[in-house]
Amino acid sequence: MTAILQYAVQGLAAGSFYALAALGLAVIFGVLGVVNFAHGAFYMLGAVTAAVLLDTLGLTLWWSLLAVPVLMFAFGVVVERLLVQWLLRLDPLYNLLLTFGLTLVLVELVKQRYGVSGLPYRLPAGLQGRVDLAGVVLPRYQLFVLLFSVLICALVWLVMTRSRIGMIVRAATEKPDLARALGINVGRWVTPVFGFGVALAGLAGALAAPFRAITADMGSNFAIILFAVVVIGGLGSIVGAVVAGFLVGLVEAFGQAYAPTFAQILIFVLMALVILVRPAGLFGRQEATA
Amino acid sequence: MESKRMRAGASALTMALLLSACAGAGPGGGGGAFTDDKLVLAVLNDQSGIYKDASGPNTVKAVRMAVADYQQKYGDKAVVTKIEVTSTDHQNKPDIANTKASELYERGGADVILDVPTSSAALAVANQAKNHKRLFLDVSAATTALTGAQCNKYTFQWAYNTYLLANGTGKTVTQNGGRKWTIIYPDYEFGQNMTKSFTEAITKAGGTVQESIPTPFPNENFATFLTKAGSSAPDVIGTMHAGGDLINLVKQFNESGLKDDGVELAVGLMLINDIHSLGVEQFAGTLFTDPWYWNMDAEARAWADRFLAETGTRPSFEHAGNYSAALQYLEAVQAAGTDDADAVIAKLEGKKVNDVFLRNGEIRAQDHSVVHDANLARVKKPGDVKEDWDYEEIVTKIPAAEGFPPAEASGCAMTS
Amino acid sequence: MTVITEAPADAPAPARTPALRWILPAAGLTAALALPWLVYPPVALDIVALALFAIALDLLLGYTGLLSFGHAAFWGSSAYVTGLIATHYGVPFPLAVLGGAVFAMILALPIGYVSVRRSGIYFAMVTLAFAQMVYFIGYQWSDLTGGENGLQGVPRSFFGIEPVETNSFYFYYAALPILLCGMAAAWRIVHSPFGRVLVSIRDNTPRARALGYDVDRYKTIAFVLSAGLTGLAGGVFAISHGFVALTELHWTTSGDVVLMTVLGGIGTLWGGIVGAFLTVMLADQLASSGFHGIDLITGSVFILVVLLFRRGVWGTVRHQWQRRGSARRP
Repeated sequence: MTAILQYAVQGLAAGSFYALAALGLAVIFGVLGVVNFAHGAFYMLGAVTAAVLLDTLGLTLWWSLLAVPVLMFAFGVVVERLLVQWLLRLDPLYNLLLTFGLTLVLVELVKQRYGVSGLPYRLPAGLQGRVDLAGVVLPRYQLFVLLFSVLICALVWLVMTRSRIGMIVRAATEKPDLARALGINVGRWVTPVFGFGVALAGLAGALAAPFRAITADMGSNFAIILFAVVVIGGLGSIVGAVVAGFLVGLVEAFGQAYAPTFAQILIFVLMALVILVRPAGLFGRQEATA
Repeated sequence: MESKRMRAGASALTMALLLSACAGAGPGGGGGAFTDDKLVLAVLNDQSGIYKDASGPNTVKAVRMAVADYQQKYGDKAVVTKIEVTSTDHQNKPDIANTKASELYERGGADVILDVPTSSAALAVANQAKNHKRLFLDVSAATTALTGAQCNKYTFQWAYNTYLLANGTGKTVTQNGGRKWTIIYPDYEFGQNMTKSFTEAITKAGGTVQESIPTPFPNENFATFLTKAGSSAPDVIGTMHAGGDLINLVKQFNESGLKDDGVELAVGLMLINDIHSLGVEQFAGTLFTDPWYWNMDAEARAWADRFLAETGTRPSFEHAGNYSAALQYLEAVQAAGTDDADAVIAKLEGKKVNDVFLRNGEIRAQDHSVVHDANLARVKKPGDVKEDWDYEEIVTKIPAAEGFPPAEASGCAMTS
Repeated sequence: MTVITEAPADAPAPARTPALRWILPAAGLTAALALPWLVYPPVALDIVALALFAIALDLLLGYTGLLSFGHAAFWGSSAYVTGLIATHYGVPFPLAVLGGAVFAMILALPIGYVSVRRSGIYFAMVTLAFAQMVYFIGYQWSDLTGGENGLQGVPRSFFGIEPVETNSFYFYYAALPILLCGMAAAWRIVHSPFGRVLVSIRDNTPRARALGYDVDRYKTIAFVLSAGLTGLAGGVFAISHGFVALTELHWTTSGDVVLMTVLGGIGTLWGGIVGAFLTVMLADQLASSGFHGIDLITGSVFILVVLLFRRGVWGTVRHQWQRRGSARRP
């Protein structure tokens, strides 16, 4: 029983990264209609930025969790203004291709600048060690990651449901035609929303820094799983992205525990099943099928 | 369609046959002792991917150092004056390694190919060496297949293999008191071989392997596996991961608190660059086999100082291994007086060698495994580090006879 | 409905004189025959094999409006099956390649059946995910595939004709007809009534449906055909290299071929050849140049093409040519 609880918490902790990043992917897709292939690269940049901040300025994780999203937001804005915006009126496949090219460039640049072996990172003392929750022993940092990302997701949810900006974004994401019909000017929000989505990917990366190898390639596998996450959750759905993120984390953890050979295939099997049964994803609008 | 295709094929073939005289007339037809009157040492390795730091571009510099040393030693008496060192990136892709190797032999005039990390790439290059009857001195690939089931006359494995890593670390750690082991390994050829070798070595030394846990490869999340591994309360957790996966695992091991329970971490394959990139405190206390360490004695250190001056960094064992392979190759060419592969091999086979890298070395004729003394090393605590790259403390020496498998056990049938 | 808008299908080009219609294939054939004299023969074969791969992808992307990001599954699985047939049965290599291509088509049937239920972005992601599944199967089934070490020592039998079996220069000419046949088949498909239906589905799916075409069925067939041509290319590639590596199944291979197709020009068929030639030559030159940032160049060029020259290299050239042609005529 304790083992199962342990795996569950570990799965949810791993799912935190997916949930945060997938949330960003979903918002970008919702408002811009862009599937951001570079999301994995932005996640990687978040981790690298955290490592560089620690190395050069001595900023610990606490500060990085603040600074990295801000920096990545700015970077996202630049990318949107410089590249993405020119293709928004065209077929969305062009932006998928553009961000694919961007991924190659970003990964290679990090390789050139910071090498291939990875960057060191140290956890603040307060987050080291383990906690004992009624017999379930867990690394403190894992618990922190889980709580922190749930908090962020809840915050985003609050903003989405309570604020004007949030309503607009949500309307644009989930009912694009209706939003336009009501005369909401979605265009103004395109750039900040892209930045926001990139910031979430960067935040997930910073959160992963103490925990994962910080290398230029760390985002490539991550991005593929992220795609499976949003397909499972339903591309247009904000809730779906978060729920599917945690779900995929759980599938991964239990798969690794009980069927390690198939752990990686399981996620994609789940995805195929979802497509067969509910083509629009668990939380997606069914009319988006075509 | 079919007949049209046949006709097209036939006419193309005839045309090709007619014009074949000038094609593929590569080296081999020259008259002197040296084809094209020069010697070409071709470094083929990963210059851009995950193994770049461990060997990569700096290996080319190490090989150039060997050429300079050879020329200085023999001066006017050198049998060949024009020596070229070329560098090719296989981008860590075996199909590129394969094509490039064949091109280097056929078009690049390569007399020997050096380095070639990644087992799949190395095995492909070994095949090319056999087909082209030219030399291939592998340094950075670990598979025992190179000197076992897939060995051939033209291929030598210079620095290490999975057996050495297992015997060095597995046996010595067990003898030092780490009796109960749990092994976590990446579920592919290298990981499986390593686990098998480790299990044999540990059992022979009187220990037990309670559990071997396969993980996907590549993988980022090891929390579940570490929980599983810790549940059987082992003395030692052995990991067979390498590169980024190893760093992931070590980070999560440190964070899991298993260290506080007195569980030691032993690593199957680790390079000094891994310690450098992750930081010494993350690895402190970890045991692993290092075929060569730059600060292990005065001779190694003197060479490492030269290397530092050339490259701005300290050498990994792969850099030193490539230097040694190039140097011994040049010595054999000097002794043979030609670059003819068969003549050079005759000079290499069975030779006992001592150089910067090879201590009590022997280039075994039976399986073309180059055996030598290696070290069991422990990563220093941050407080004990006195200078840059001062990361390792040598726990004990692993004599060549214990570290490498006996030639009879290699499974190599050396035909051609 | 998502559709690649900027790339017209091979227009029934009234501007093109009958002479030109023959000049182009003739020039292409001459180039293909001359190629191994100009570049290292195995590299030449890589170019032609990848060109067919890119053309097969273009069949979907340019003429059906479906971007597959999972074609490595068909390329790689055909490579493995071809390699296994050649290793275990010692048949002449064209037979083994045929076996690989058939396998790729069989594999494409269920994948295509599920994937075509989605289009545009969704289709790209779904095919990517399926390809990852195939990759992990190839990776786990190491008894058969050799896992990480790859399938080593694939023989190159060809009716005992020694030059072909041992010399890559002659092998090129033995393998070329297979690849050219694949390209000719792609051309036939595009210019057949079936191809016209595909284009009409691409341009206006609801209309095609209203006209009574079973859209999903047409898409599935196109998917399977594309997989078959991909399989031909992958099989020849495997025989040429004499071994199969796991990277052939990896998603980066799918990415590479998308890159080639877009670079050359979507919906042009000839673009695939140009794209393959440029990418392979670039990789080949850079490998021994001392510059180690190939993705930096390909990535940047790719971004530029997507931003500024969405017709691709071939498409842009052809567009300029046609414009000048029509400007001169009146």
